[in-house]
Amino acid sequence: MKELIKFSLHDYLRSHKYFPPISTFFVLVFVQYTYTPNPIIDSYAVTALIIYVISSWLCISVLSLDPPVQRQIMILHAKGRNRYYISKLLSVWLIAVLLTVYSFVYPIIFGMFAEPVTLTIGFVSFANHILLATLGITVASLFSEALMESPVNSYGGLALTIVLSIAALGIHGALPAALKNITWVIPPAVNTQQSLMNWSGENLGDLSIFPFIWIIIYSILLLILFLKLAKC
Amino acid sequence: MEKFVELEHISKAYNNQQVLRDISLTIDQKQVIAILGGNGTGKSTILRLIAGLEKPTSGKVIYPNKKIRIGYVPERFPKDIRFTPSEYLCYIGTITGISKARLRKNIPTFLRRFQLEKLDNHRINELSKGNTQKVGIIQAIMQRPELLILDEPISGLDAQAQQELLLVIKELKERGSTILLTYHESNIFEDIVETTYYIYNGLLSKTKMKNEKDSLKLIEVKRLDDSQVKQWEEVLHMKEMDNGLLLYVHANYSDKVLSRILALQGSINQVTTVDNDGEWERE
Repeated sequence: MKELIKFSLHDYLRSHKYFPPISTFFVLVFVQYTYTPNPIIDSYAVTALIIYVISSWLCISVLSLDPPVQRQIMILHAKGRNRYYISKLLSVWLIAVLLTVYSFVYPIIFGMFAEPVTLTIGFVSFANHILLATLGITVASLFSEALMESPVNSYGGLALTIVLSIAALGIHGALPAALKNITWVIPPAVNTQQSLMNWSGENLGDLSIFPFIWIIIYSILLLILFLKLAKC
Repeated sequence: MEKFVELEHISKAYNNQQVLRDISLTIDQKQVIAILGGNGTGKSTILRLIAGLEKPTSGKVIYPNKKIRIGYVPERFPKDIRFTPSEYLCYIGTITGISKARLRKNIPTFLRRFQLEKLDNHRINELSKGNTQKVGIIQAIMQRPELLILDEPISGLDAQAQQELLLVIKELKERGSTILLTYHESNIFEDIVETTYYIYNGLLSKTKMKNEKDSLKLIEVKRLDDSQVKQWEEVLHMKEMDNGLLLYVHANYSDKVLSRILALQGSINQVTTVDNDGEWERE
């Protein structure tokens, strides 16, 4: 699996397809910290959401790297579809981790915050970035070329889902009480944001943990669904 | 003799179009098997099913030895690969599990055998069709596959590379591998192929049709329910007439269909041989 990840990353680098998502990421992070000082928790919540969108974009572009016949050859050499697709998703995840490190360290190094980042806030914010990156990747996998032939459906479907997930709180508020449960199916990209906004940052015990756990459960379910559909 | 792959009543359809019908086949160790047929007859599909790259619509593909090493050369090896032949083969080899030491020794040898050593500073997407196909062959053979599947392997290959491929096939067979291949408009494999199967209308046969035009039978039948006939895969086309049915059946399967009609107490009016002008050929 390690070799397959190396192959995917090397191929992605040579394809130059990384340029649009990565450059967009740097621009967005730069814009986010145009003015100083910034509130720590809120700023990290925003960059985590940026990571969510960029990870999904990266995922869809990495999964479109191998043409269908090349994919078949790789699956045969990797001895299994699951191993092939998990390697691809892990490759995207590794890129997302690098971006997370950047978005975490950049405001600290360049003094974008008024206060120092405590260990508790740092840990929670970093975890939030990683969880949202994972969610973005698993959401995008369902719209990738592995399952969708048309790039219009692929990118269009993903864009719509991302917008819906970012607007989930608004949708929840606008729906009548009887239909509010429908929002459970929308990717929980903003649930942790709400939890973070209501957190003082002093004590980990005051933080509502469920939205974080729900992202993990949701991502695992999407991953299982993707691997099952990719096998058909 | 060790059994490598077993196909049990395989059928494959794409978008409701039947490509393969009720195919059963056993592939044993140390054989060279050819599957021949016209364009669009389902040759590549059957190879992909055997390689495990596609799933049949119905039936089973069984691998008695789950760890069998399968090498697959597609009909059109992807040309947009952003690595040099060595880089690509090195990645493929390590993904397969071949040690780096063995790869360092084998890759230059294979590149030399297929006259690619001088092109190794070029990326595959810069190579000609024939040279790309050579990389496609090497990626499949360098792991010494127990089952090597070649889909039209000589398409675009120069004469020297064709001879090299023949040599590789012979070497692999001597080591106990089975080679399964398709080809057309070529006779270079005739001397090494031991068993040949032909695909017509999605059916696999060991008999070569002398003339496809003679291969259809028209059965005129009465007192038979058309809903039952619709489930018979051997019937290529059915027409309703005044008080009966006209069934177009591949000549090889006419006996099977006739016995089914009799078992259902249908009345056979006549059986005639008709020209198959390709109207019911599947693409």
